[in-house]
Amino acid sequence: MLEILRNLTRRKLRTALTVLGITIGVLALTTMGSLAEKSNSLIDGGVHYFRDHVSVAAASNGGFGGILTIDKAKDVLKVDGVQAACADTGSNVKTDLDLSFNFGPGDQVIAEQPGCQQYSTFKFSYAGGHAIDDYGSGQLVLGSDIAREYKKKVGDSMELPQPPKKFNPDFVGHQFTIVGILEKTLTAPDSFAIVSFRDGQMLFGDSLPSALKGHVDATQLATGINVYGKPGVDLDTLANRINDQVAGVRAIPPSTLVKAFETASVVLTGITTGSALLALVIGGLSVINTMLMAVTERVREIGLKKAVGARTRHILVEFITEATIIGAIGGAIGLLVGWALTTVVNAGLTSNNQAELFLLTLRLVGLAVAFAVGLGALAGVIPALRAARLDPVTALRHQ
Amino acid sequence: MARIELVDLTKHYKQGRNLVRALDGVSLTIERGEFVSVVGRSGSGKTTLLDLLGLLLKPTSGRVIIDGVDTADLGDGDRAIMRGERIGFIFQEFNLLPTLNALENVMLPLRYRRHRDPEGKARALELLGAVDLLDRMDHKPSELSGGQAQRVAIARSMVNNPALVLGDEPTGEVDSETSMQLIDLMRKMNRERGVTFVIVTHDMEIAGRTDRMIRLRDGRVASDEPLGAQTAAV
Repeated sequence: MLEILRNLTRRKLRTALTVLGITIGVLALTTMGSLAEKSNSLIDGGVHYFRDHVSVAAASNGGFGGILTIDKAKDVLKVDGVQAACADTGSNVKTDLDLSFNFGPGDQVIAEQPGCQQYSTFKFSYAGGHAIDDYGSGQLVLGSDIAREYKKKVGDSMELPQPPKKFNPDFVGHQFTIVGILEKTLTAPDSFAIVSFRDGQMLFGDSLPSALKGHVDATQLATGINVYGKPGVDLDTLANRINDQVAGVRAIPPSTLVKAFETASVVLTGITTGSALLALVIGGLSVINTMLMAVTERVREIGLKKAVGARTRHILVEFITEATIIGAIGGAIGLLVGWALTTVVNAGLTSNNQAELFLLTLRLVGLAVAFAVGLGALAGVIPALRAARLDPVTALRHQ
Repeated sequence: MARIELVDLTKHYKQGRNLVRALDGVSLTIERGEFVSVVGRSGSGKTTLLDLLGLLLKPTSGRVIIDGVDTADLGDGDRAIMRGERIGFIFQEFNLLPTLNALENVMLPLRYRRHRDPEGKARALELLGAVDLLDRMDHKPSELSGGQAQRVAIARSMVNNPALVLGDEPTGEVDSETSMQLIDLMRKMNRERGVTFVIVTHDMEIAGRTDRMIRLRDGRVASDEPLGAQTAAV
């Protein structure tokens, strides 16, 4: 074993370059992979979030963000198979255009009609404080990311929406008291600011263009309706039924959303992990090259070892071990640098009031280590076979 | 200790269209504890003979019998085991591993034994003492003189308590004074430990210090004479 380590230091530059090849591969794998893991966890959360209900939006606006009235929720409730139809509102926490790079829609003020949490399978747990009073006003629960972003704790107050950087005469802000902070979920609710439905309607009303503002009654507003089915009701069928029976709304079957999320997830993982694995395979080729050169340089030594009793498997094991160590060292360094890099970038983004970009999961670490070590071992096989097959007489007299 | 029988041993090579008869029907018996030198011009077949004795080569025909074991029947793995545990090698160019120090080089053959030898390290140290290199045991080969390196190699050849030690021009790389020291050291090992030695050399002075000199010519034994009485006089 000691000899193998010393062999690695015989050609220091060459070994270092080979290790660097693996390091870069593993670094790529950890950073690209943790990028994919982060988005996957967001997407998983999205899948989880969207699977238990039908999202209903205003038909005219073609997507989220259109204006509905809460009357529509009553219409939807009449559709056969609907257990509950809860209007909700969503508006932006920031009034300035948010140009930061995010996987989600950014920080959102979320409010849902009272009494609807019981239908959702997506339960919040609190790191501190408690839920808002559904019928109250001026209370606020923050997701973990948003709480850290604004350095808020339970009992602090916070203005919603956040005032623009440039003075705007039309801006109206409201002070809220933070009554609870959510546990980290690694998904959408981390950037939620949850208020009571009445407050949500007010904030949503404020966010409307001034031309529209005078013509609407804020207490009737909603951005969407979350429809929960009765037990055993197929939500996709229910969505179609709502589209048929209620005018002016568009219900999106959950499977459509889930499928879209999952496709995005697979594509993203494929692109990032695939390119990283490619880098790692190239690193593996350089291990093969290095080990082949080492075999050529050590032909006489191999002959000597065979003369003093080394069998084929001894030589095989020695060379494969050496290649494996190269892989393991490169993997360890790559992982360490990758960990440091993702941590630093995440910390930088967080302190800059942006969401984290990387999620270095345990399974990713496992994958990176296994791949580096496995690739090293695999890369050692061809050179080791060449070494082990050397004829001792030829090898000993090799010049 | 080995009794070695060579029975009608031949080794033929194809070199282009020509058939080279490196060894052409050699029959010999080497008794236990003998110190034998093999001499002859280059191309006479002496190195081939040594490679066959050391089980590094397989003969074209004929047999090498070591202590009653017909090695023709052995596969590559068994030949390697027999090399490791019964035969020691000393080479012209020492062939020490550059990354290992003197003690580790002596201990190298222990690594490939089938069963771990708990006394291996003690024996390696004792042998380093016998070749007078205990104070150099943690030196790398690059820090040793030619004579010292070959003494390490002699100690290495003995570490598995072999029955037979083979030397391929063991004094070929050192000056004549060191040559004499080395041959005396090998003789000492041979006498004190009863190990059979067969060395190939072209140095007649070296050959003259052995018990028996076998001269090869064109792959055949040209002469085979005991030297015992004369040696003492030299």
